[in-house]
Amino acid sequence: MSSIEGERIRKLVVACDAGMGSSVMLAGQLRRELRKLPVTVEHHPVAAIPPDADVVLCQAGLAERARAGAPGSVVVGFRMFLGDPAVARVVAAVKQGGVVVGTTGN
Amino acid sequence: MAELYAPAAQDTSVKARVQRFGGHLAGMVMPNIAAFIAWGLITALFFENGWLPNEKFAALIDPMSHVLLPVLIGYTGGRMVHGQRGAVVGAVATMGLVVGSDSPMFFGAMIVGPLAAYVLKLVDGLIAERVRPGFEMLVDNFSAGIVAGLAALAGVLAIGPVMRVFTTAAGDGVRFLVEHHLLPGAALLIEPAKVLFLNNAINHGVLGPLGIAESSDSGRSILFMLETNPGPGFGILLAYLLFGPRALRPSVPAAMAIQFLGGIHEIYFPYVLMKPSMVFAAISGGAAGILTFMVTGAGLVATPSPGSIFAYLAETPRGGYFGVLAGVVVAAGVSFVVGSLLLGFGRLARDEEGM
Repeated sequence: MSSIEGERIRKLVVACDAGMGSSVMLAGQLRRELRKLPVTVEHHPVAAIPPDADVVLCQAGLAERARAGAPGSVVVGFRMFLGDPAVARVVAAVKQGGVVVGTTGN
Repeated sequence: MAELYAPAAQDTSVKARVQRFGGHLAGMVMPNIAAFIAWGLITALFFENGWLPNEKFAALIDPMSHVLLPVLIGYTGGRMVHGQRGAVVGAVATMGLVVGSDSPMFFGAMIVGPLAAYVLKLVDGLIAERVRPGFEMLVDNFSAGIVAGLAALAGVLAIGPVMRVFTTAAGDGVRFLVEHHLLPGAALLIEPAKVLFLNNAINHGVLGPLGIAESSDSGRSILFMLETNPGPGFGILLAYLLFGPRALRPSVPAAMAIQFLGGIHEIYFPYVLMKPSMVFAAISGGAAGILTFMVTGAGLVATPSPGSIFAYLAETPRGGYFGVLAGVVVAAGVSFVVGSLLLGFGRLARDEEGM
């Protein structure tokens, strides 16, 4: 999938290589930011993304694997683990509505 | 902001494929890291040269590294292929390698665990539609039991001996690099691969297993520190903090804490990827760190995971602090100096603002 409306996002998955390090960190931040909203935030290895994920966030270097493993999800690649605008856009779309567009290539 | 420095990292499917393969290797080890840490702490404490030498507790060391850890890897590898049934068969199959082996059979476990599970998956596929109602449990249990038993026998007879040759050869290869002072050159391979998110694959898939084999003999191994040294990443982040693009600087202190104290190295990879020449800072810092570890005879007892300075301190063997800390500090210093040079000591940042 290539895009999704912010208000339709129910499950947001943060993925990293092992699903134990950086994804846990970012998922914790997003969980705090999106508390009180009807969105679950989970972290998983990029090779084991649950099929019901609406949006997958992962570092751009892993995005190709995420897209291959989660064809039914909107995959958004970001660059920086702290303060990346791509992550902020997803958060804003969940909070205030708007379209989340998946990244292609890099 | 990130686009200032620009070139996008190349994303080829070769890279994705290598990542995926490495991810499988690391994926068999990383869920079991707690067991490795438990083993490392017991070794550091109760080993004959440890903090509190104790024969009774030290009796745990060998069975844990030779049996428990490989079996956990085989179990997890089997689970990746075929769920709980695959996991059980993978664990039993690994026993076939473990029996009668002098060194821990990690690589063997990474092969036979998934392989035995795959065989069971094929068998399950063949008989799935043919079982009469009421006989499912009988067939399921015995098909898995028979496959597991046969896999264990195959391990004893065939795969074990082959893997023992391979493990010995890999150990000899590492010893050759150490004895000929070539180990710092490993940084040429490790540091670039690391920032392409192959860090777990290299450390947990390759270096960790080799290191445990060494450390269960001698109580320490330098191999645990080749990829996990938090020094090079810290030096690069420090260079960015002082001389990087101004828009990036505010986020760097948090990244430094997460990297150095929390051990999540991924956080500095983007800073290298956005200016690929920074990989030379990582390589030179990494090589300088390894050289320092070699000269001081430093080593850790188990894989520090995550690669935090706290994990380093917890897994340093008694009396080994100087070399370990020196290697971290030297690596950070060298990568900071080289990184600062590459960033033009802030000149690049000023030029951009002038535009």
